[in-house]
Amino acid sequence: MAYHLQVMANFPNRVKQWVELKTTSREELEQRANNLEKERLILLGKLQRSADLAAENLRLRQLLNASELLMDSVLVTEVIGVSPDPQNHRISIDRGAEDGVYVGQPVLDATGLMGQVVEVYSNYSQVLLITDFNHALPVQVVRNGLRSIVEGVSDFNQMELGFVSPTVDIVIGDQLVSSGLGGRYPVGYPVGTVTEIDYQSGEKFMQVKVQPSAQLDRSRHLLLVFTLQNGVFNGQN
Amino acid sequence: MIILLLATILQLVPLDGRWLLWRPNLLLLVMITWMLYFSDQYGIEFSVILGVFADFIFGTTLGFYVLIFTLCGALVALLRRTVAYLEPIHQAVLVCLLVSTSELFKAWSNIVVDKPVFWQHLPSVVLLSVLIWLPLDKLVKTIHRWQHQ
Repeated sequence: MAYHLQVMANFPNRVKQWVELKTTSREELEQRANNLEKERLILLGKLQRSADLAAENLRLRQLLNASELLMDSVLVTEVIGVSPDPQNHRISIDRGAEDGVYVGQPVLDATGLMGQVVEVYSNYSQVLLITDFNHALPVQVVRNGLRSIVEGVSDFNQMELGFVSPTVDIVIGDQLVSSGLGGRYPVGYPVGTVTEIDYQSGEKFMQVKVQPSAQLDRSRHLLLVFTLQNGVFNGQN
Repeated sequence: MIILLLATILQLVPLDGRWLLWRPNLLLLVMITWMLYFSDQYGIEFSVILGVFADFIFGTTLGFYVLIFTLCGALVALLRRTVAYLEPIHQAVLVCLLVSTSELFKAWSNIVVDKPVFWQHLPSVVLLSVLIWLPLDKLVKTIHRWQHQ
């Protein structure tokens, strides 16, 4: 019943998308296609560099006899519902157990980590966003590898780093990625950027605010990540 | 029933994060108008049932909205004999009071569990609820008259 209500509630959005598509002129579509083609070329260029780095990383890991490198597979999904309670940062997606979705599965959008699957039904699932008050995620600073935990504060544009000592090397603009500790999220996905650091003298910890990389309240198309471990993708037989 | 279904759908329509904080509780508004105009059919039991439904829709702990809806339902039941015959603008004061009670109870429960509270959105939610209630009241009043003819 909840699924059908969410599909009905999503109907105005679908109509809006359809109207937008039908009212877009041919010139606009051509312009959009040209822009996408340019963007694709830029991304392919970046991917070549990324493949080179991945190969180098693999060689170094082999030199160190490190464990198997994790490789990820993704499945595209669409948001069909958003929790009506603004304090409760949960969304519903149109993939469920029939698609191999499992509890704890990481979810991304085009720009960063969105959250994790917390409830799975046959044809839809519930995702807890990283900005939810009950969510915490192990991260590390890209610049120096500093590890910490980023916590949600029920604000789509802000999170907080917990227990950051005043002596640690962290500056505004530092990029945070998932550290992979805890085994829930894979390593290296963008989480956010440090936007504000506040320290009141006498306090044990600094207050560090982070802006999420993902567009948590706007993205409609998301990616479900299947991590490859011991030659088998999690959640798939 | 159509009004309730429409309110549920509008409550669930996915909105951008910044708009979510402005959306009034449409189920509560429907409950208030129904209990005001159809008092012989919808009593306090109706507010309990609608509270259970709201808990299901909002994904909150069972009993959270039951308590809020029952409290508001009891206030409506207590005051409806006086309020039902007043001008809509005066009735809006009651709606303002009930929505404020509901929002303050939610804020208090968030404070208890150390959740952040967005106080700055509270007046706008109350004001929007009153603005939505005025046409809703007119619609239900028309249905009420039509049923009695």
